[in-house]
Amino acid sequence: MVSELHASLTSIGTGYDLSNSVFSPDGRNFQVEYAVKAVENGGTAVGIRCKDGVVLAVEKIITSKLLKPGANKRIATVDRHVGIVSAGLVPDGRHFVSRARDEASSWRGVYKGPIPTLALANRLGGYVQAYTLYSSVRPFGVTAIVGGWDTEAELAVDGQVGSGPESGSGGKVPGAKAGGPGLYMIEPSGLYWGYYGAATGKGRQAAKAELEKLDLTSGNLSLADGVKEAARIIYVAHEDSKDKEFELEMTWISSVDGPTKGRHEEVPKELLEEAEKAARRALEGDDEEEEDKGQGEQMEE
Amino acid sequence: MNHFPEAWGRPRNDVYGAYDHSYLQTLGPKAHTSSPAVTGTSVVGVKFNGGVALATDNLASYGSLARFSDVKRLRSFGDKAMVGFGGDVSDMQYLDRLLESMDIKENYSTHGNMLNAKNLHTYLAKVFYKRRSEFNPLWNHVLVAGFDGEGEPFLSSADLLGTTFSAPHLATGFGAHLAVPILRRKFPEDTPLEEVSQEDAVAALKECLKVLFYRDARSLDKYSIAVITKDGIDLKEDEQIQGQSWAFAERIKGYGAQTV
Amino acid sequence: MTSFMGHQSRGETIGYSFSEPTAAPVKQHSFYPYTDNGGSTLGITGSDFAILAGDTRSTSGYNINSRMVPKVFRIGGDDETGEGAQILLSVVGFAADGNALKERLDTMVRMYKYQHGKSMSVGACAQRLSTILYEKRFFPYYVHAILAGLDEEGKGALYSYDPVGSYEREQCRAAGAASSLIMPFLDNQVNFKNQYIPGSGEGHALEPKKAEPLPKNTVKQLVRDAFTSAVERHIEVGDGLQMMIITREGIEEVYHPLKKD
Repeated sequence: MVSELHASLTSIGTGYDLSNSVFSPDGRNFQVEYAVKAVENGGTAVGIRCKDGVVLAVEKIITSKLLKPGANKRIATVDRHVGIVSAGLVPDGRHFVSRARDEASSWRGVYKGPIPTLALANRLGGYVQAYTLYSSVRPFGVTAIVGGWDTEAELAVDGQVGSGPESGSGGKVPGAKAGGPGLYMIEPSGLYWGYYGAATGKGRQAAKAELEKLDLTSGNLSLADGVKEAARIIYVAHEDSKDKEFELEMTWISSVDGPTKGRHEEVPKELLEEAEKAARRALEGDDEEEEDKGQGEQMEE
Repeated sequence: MNHFPEAWGRPRNDVYGAYDHSYLQTLGPKAHTSSPAVTGTSVVGVKFNGGVALATDNLASYGSLARFSDVKRLRSFGDKAMVGFGGDVSDMQYLDRLLESMDIKENYSTHGNMLNAKNLHTYLAKVFYKRRSEFNPLWNHVLVAGFDGEGEPFLSSADLLGTTFSAPHLATGFGAHLAVPILRRKFPEDTPLEEVSQEDAVAALKECLKVLFYRDARSLDKYSIAVITKDGIDLKEDEQIQGQSWAFAERIKGYGAQTV
Repeated sequence: MTSFMGHQSRGETIGYSFSEPTAAPVKQHSFYPYTDNGGSTLGITGSDFAILAGDTRSTSGYNINSRMVPKVFRIGGDDETGEGAQILLSVVGFAADGNALKERLDTMVRMYKYQHGKSMSVGACAQRLSTILYEKRFFPYYVHAILAGLDEEGKGALYSYDPVGSYEREQCRAAGAASSLIMPFLDNQVNFKNQYIPGSGEGHALEPKKAEPLPKNTVKQLVRDAFTSAVERHIEVGDGLQMMIITREGIEEVYHPLKKD
């Protein structure tokens, strides 16, 4: 541990941190690690994979009172069924989204249907990774959370004109189950994993701790509850930078028979406000508990 | 063996005769669509008080062969515009994909798809005109239905040459001959739109489809009908022409070898 | 071998199969990129006005596509309504080309205003339109265009064009399906052709009636008469008459119904 710390400290200034695509003798790419630092300063972003949809949320620190509230969106739509939120350098995030849209569009060009969330995450992972290989570029200064819903319904091929055969070759398979929610997080190294709940940005530690309490692995959390939890987690994660004002942006993707019909959309205003109110109440509750405890301790003394 | 590598591996002219290079050459005119292949017939549309109704049958013909009988020729764009396609089916599929990708791009913004039927019609007409100017036409005649920028019902036509026109009721292909006179009789062009009810418009379209099924050999009694109102699109794609009467056929005499 | 020095192709000389590719038989396009949408237009100028008119019928063969498709447009307006325009254009022939031509001229006249801070004169616009048409000399806009406005002296200006950009300034011009019906009428009623002053002489010595600019209301009535007559004799003309009158005060637009048969 001590030697590792020693190594990292001494590595700076050795020259191995100056160029992308160059390993240090102990097998690290410093440019990628610096990109991760950029991410760690960004506003907290979370994604929750629920049983009937996916929620994405981001904490937007208000950097100026002159910014129009509600404008300057940070969560983007890709194709119809995927949303991307990122923490870190906003322009890098925009470029990342632009690439995601191109990938989704080119997938349609080839396969005449929507890109599965996993395939999109895979392609984006490859894209981000390529930016760690060349000295002429720098890695992406973002960690992006990609959430999507792969349709569970029989979907017409783009441009399809007929219904196809009822049975037999090319026919429909009765009761076939496919699709569902997808949530992936892509890091500056190009590394991506699938998650039940993902968090990145400044408040990620607190957010991850909260996500772990939700028992997401059992797959019982509904989308409606996921919206409330996501809002609350952003509020909890914001506690450490309480001095700064922030705005909560939140989107969701439900199943085809859910409220967004499989599309990535903004969480409706009323629902968002309700979730924020609940989040504030939950925080105040915590504070009171702490205060109670504090008072109790005092009384004991 | 000779000293001209270009000739190696090629049939010798002195043995096989002159080689016909026209099979290999890439120069010369590029082949474009000069006639449609699999086609859909008429599209009919009527404006009514508060919206537009649009209908087509579900047939795609390959020449005189009734090739596909469950073809969806009414395509939605966003949640308040529709396109009814007549003509080449593969060009329709191309345009459908084009519109699909446009709708996806429109939905990147949080406002959603802001393009109305009038915008869509302008765009489609320009696509048609551009392609005809490249001598590579998209072989379709379409009706675009929905609302204009003022929220008024909108119905307009565009064809493979880029020709456009708008009227309270329109029909393409055979329908221009058979359906338009029926519609003009039912709803004279100077009738205010307020006096045309949705029920009358839909009934008139069904009547037109029936007449077209009687007299257009490349038509079908299975059809699709869409009613576009402020509330959205009501699309039915598996309808059957009702109340057919072929009694008139009894009276048709004098064809071919028939004498009585 | 000597032929290699000359201009004979190598294939011919050595008798192998890599002779110059012979052109493939030219494939015939059966796609014809034009159609005629019928209708007629008419323009007449006076001393301080110009009138441009057209019927509103659109046809394809014997079909009436629509009874309301305008052929006269405002050019260089401030917005899509054409408000603020000082030039008029009518197009008759292939309507899709007509629309494309109108849009190109309209954007050019607007760009001129943005770039130079002043409106384009009709004379300049007339020359520009000619250039636009001639640019497509070998794949023409299949339209007969008429441009109208007021010249620098405030007099009515009218320019008529053939499809490839040949143009001239005229007193009056009819174009389109019924032009052969309307033009002789205009010769007689506007330029007083074949009209003589009674009792001014015998036979060829008869003094022709001298043409002079007509008052606006007379011209308006002439236009209406020309179209009502054309409707009687030409199947592609009818439904409605759209008339635009440009004066110092601006553009007045009038619509009169015509027979719909």
